[in-house]
Amino acid sequence: MEFRDKYKDDLTQGNLSRNFNFTEDFKTLLKIAEDNVRKEAQKPKVMKSFEESQKSKKTVASMIENKKETPKSVKEQKKKAAEAVKAKAAEPTTVSNGTLDEETIRKNIEKKFGLNKKPKAEKAKTESPDANKKKGKQARKWDKGGTTKEMRELDFSAANGDGDKDKDRDLDETLPTEEDLAMLGSMSGNLGDLEEESSDEEESEEEEEEDTPVQQKSAGKSKGFGMFNVFKGLVGSKTLTRDDIQDVLNKMRDHLISKNVAADIAAKLCDSVATKLEGKVLGTFNTVASTVRNTLQEACVQLLSPKRRIDILRDAMEAKQQNRPYTIVFCGVNGVGKSTNLAKVSFWLVENGFRVLIAACDTFRAGAVEQLRTHTRKLNALHPPTKHNGMQMVQLYEQGYGKDAAGIAMQAVNYARDYKLDVTLIDTAGRMQDNEPLMRALAKLIKVNQPDLVLFVGEALVGNEAVDQLTKFNQALADHSQMENPRLIDGIVLTKFDTIDDKVGAAVSMTYITGQPIVFVGTGQTYTDLKNLNAKAVVSALLK
Amino acid sequence: MSRQGNVEFWYKTLEQGFANGDPSFYAILVALLVGIITLFVVFIRLGKKNNRRGILMMGACDGGKTLMFSRLTANKYVETYTSIKENTGNYELTGDKTGTLRMIDLPGHERLRSQYFDQYKASARGIMFVVDSASLQKDIKDVAECLYTILTDGFVSSAAVPILIACNKQDLTLAKGAKVVQKQLEKEMNTLRVTRSAALEGTSDTGNNNTFLGRRDRDFQFADLKPFTVDFVECSARGSNGTDGDGELNQVIDWLQKIA
Repeated sequence: MEFRDKYKDDLTQGNLSRNFNFTEDFKTLLKIAEDNVRKEAQKPKVMKSFEESQKSKKTVASMIENKKETPKSVKEQKKKAAEAVKAKAAEPTTVSNGTLDEETIRKNIEKKFGLNKKPKAEKAKTESPDANKKKGKQARKWDKGGTTKEMRELDFSAANGDGDKDKDRDLDETLPTEEDLAMLGSMSGNLGDLEEESSDEEESEEEEEEDTPVQQKSAGKSKGFGMFNVFKGLVGSKTLTRDDIQDVLNKMRDHLISKNVAADIAAKLCDSVATKLEGKVLGTFNTVASTVRNTLQEACVQLLSPKRRIDILRDAMEAKQQNRPYTIVFCGVNGVGKSTNLAKVSFWLVENGFRVLIAACDTFRAGAVEQLRTHTRKLNALHPPTKHNGMQMVQLYEQGYGKDAAGIAMQAVNYARDYKLDVTLIDTAGRMQDNEPLMRALAKLIKVNQPDLVLFVGEALVGNEAVDQLTKFNQALADHSQMENPRLIDGIVLTKFDTIDDKVGAAVSMTYITGQPIVFVGTGQTYTDLKNLNAKAVVSALLK
Repeated sequence: MSRQGNVEFWYKTLEQGFANGDPSFYAILVALLVGIITLFVVFIRLGKKNNRRGILMMGACDGGKTLMFSRLTANKYVETYTSIKENTGNYELTGDKTGTLRMIDLPGHERLRSQYFDQYKASARGIMFVVDSASLQKDIKDVAECLYTILTDGFVSSAAVPILIACNKQDLTLAKGAKVVQKQLEKEMNTLRVTRSAALEGTSDTGNNNTFLGRRDRDFQFADLKPFTVDFVECSARGSNGTDGDGELNQVIDWLQKIA
C-alpha cells in the first residue's frame, strides 16, 4: 500500500522511465527482516501440548498390539458375526406368539444341525486353497490368449494382404466414390478470401472503453473535458479485495466445470485470476463481474495460444531439403482416434505434395494393420501415381503382429530415407497410462527413433481423466528415457470435437497441464475433418 | 411547398412560445439544447478515438523494442526484460512537422502477441517491425511468421498501414545490413506464403484467411505488396556506448517524420 501511494502519480501517468531509487528502502527492509529471523531462531522451541498431538486423536483400543491374539480374535470375530446372524435370524421365530408350530420346530432342528455344518464348511474351505497352493505353481491359462504354436493359425495378415485371388476384387472396391472425389483438392493451398471477423470489433470496443480513462488523463490538454475529470474523482474508485472477487470466482469456477474443464484445473485458473486482480482499482463503470470475466478470458486465450510456431508443412519442407524424413509419432490411450487422425493428416500432406510413409507400429490390436492398409489404398486411389509423376504418394510399412514396435519404427524411418519419402507417420498401440510395461515400451520407441514431433491424441469428451492421462504419459516419457533432456509430448491432437457442442473445456485442461499447443483438431471421420484451433472462438464458447 | 409550410409553422410556434412565456416551453427548449450538446460531445470523442496517432512496435521476442521505445520517448537507456504488458508513451516530433505520436510497444512473446495486436491495431498509424539483425539466421522462421501475420491482417492490409522494418542491433559485429535482411526475409516469405495458405482452417469455420502475398508468377518481393509501403532501415537502440551514449536511431526518426 505504501509503495502504491508513494508512486501513484507516476504509475497513473505511465511515467515509467523515471529513475527509481530503491536501494535505501531495500537495505532497511532487509535489515528488519534479518533481525526478525534471528530473534525467531533464538527463541526456545515450545513443546506441543497433549491436545495438539496426534496421539490424543487415536482411541486406546486401536493402539493395543498383540500379535498372538490377532488370529484368535479374527476367528472369534467371525464366530461372533455368524452368531449375530443366527441371532437375528432366530429372533423373528422366537418373537412369535410362543406357540411352537411343527414348522418352527422343524426349522429350529435344522438350525441346530446347521450350526454344526457351518464351522466345518469354513474349515473345509480354509483347507482347500492351502492344499491347492502346495501343489506347485502352474502357469495361468487365459481364455483368449494363444501360444506361439497357435500363432500361425491366428495370424490373419497374409489372408487380407496382397493375395493374388483377392487382387481383382480389392481393386474394384478401392475405386473412389463420388463423395471421395469431391474431397479432392479441398485441402491444398487454395486462395482464401480475406474475411474480417465482426466479433473482433466488439471485443476491441469493450477494451477501448477501459483505455479511455487512462488516455483522458494523459491527453489532458483539451480543457472542455476537465469537467468530466472532476466527476470521475468524485465518484471514487474501489479497490478489489479477495472477498469481493471470491463470489464471482466461485460462480466462474462452477461454470468452467460445467463446460468440462477438469476440476482442479478450473480451481487453479480461478486462483491465478484472483491473485492477479487482488488490489486492483476498478474503473467507475466497470463491475466486479465484468472485470473478472475479462481477466479470465485473457488468461484462457493466453493459455490456448501456442507458445511456439506451429507450421508442420514448413518444417517438413525443411526436413526434405536436408534429405531426411520428417517423423511424427501418434500416441494416446485406447480408442481416441489415433489411426483415423493419422489418415486425415496424411491426406492433408498428400494434398500438399508430400510423399507419406505410414508405419504400422500397432502390433497388438487385431485389424490395426489392415485398417492402415485400407487407408493407404484409398489415399492412393484418390491421388493416383499418374497425377504425381508416377510416384506412389502413400506407402505402408508393416511387419505383421507381435513384433517390437520400436524396431519396426526404426526400420520404417530407414526405409523412408532410402526411398526418399518425405514424411513418416508412426501409429502406435493405445495404452492406459497406468500400464507400466507398455509405457516403458513407448518411451523406448521415442528414445530410439527421436521423432521430430510427438503428438498426444486425446479426445475432447474426456473430463478429469485428461489430467491423469497427460501427467502420467509425460512422467513415463521422462522417467524411462535415461537422457538428460528427455523427449516429452510436443503437441496435442484434440479429436471428436464435433461431439461436444460448446463444452470445450478439455482443450483448456490439456494445454494447462502440458503447456504444449493443440496442433490439430479432429471434427469427424472423413478425411477433410481436420482443423486448426481457433483460440478466441473456443474461449468465447467456453465463457458464454 | 410543403417544406416551406412546415418551416413557417415551426417559426410561428416558436414566436408564440416566446410570447407566451410558458415555463414548460422553455423547459423543452433547454432539454433539446442539452441533448444536442451531448450528442455533439459524444461525436467529438468518437472522432478523437478514431484519430489514429499510434505507432505500433512489434517483432519477435528479444528484438530490442522496449529499449527503442525508451530511447524514443524518454531518451534513456534501461535494462529491459521480456515485456508482458504493452508500454505506451508520447513521442514529440522534431523537424518540419510538429505534434506528438503515441508510441505503443507491444510484447513480442508468441502467446501475448495476437491479443495485444488485436487490441491496438485500430489505432495504428504506422507499424515498426523490429528485427534482431545479428541472430536473424537462426530465428528467420519465427520472424517471418510474425511479419506474415501482420501483413495478412485484415485491418492492416485494408488500411495500407505503412510498415518500417528496423534492423536493430547494428552495434554488434555480426549484424547483417538492411539489404541482406531484406533478401533473407523475401526468400523465407516466398516459402511461407505457400505453406500458410495451405494451412488448415479454424474450428469455427472462419475459413483460411491467409492470402497469397505478392505475385504468383514470380518470387516474393516486398515491392510487390502494392498498397503497402515497406521500408528497411538500420538502427541501433543501444548505440556504441551503451548506457552512456545515445542510440543511433536517425533513420527511424526520419521515417517517423515521413508518416506523421
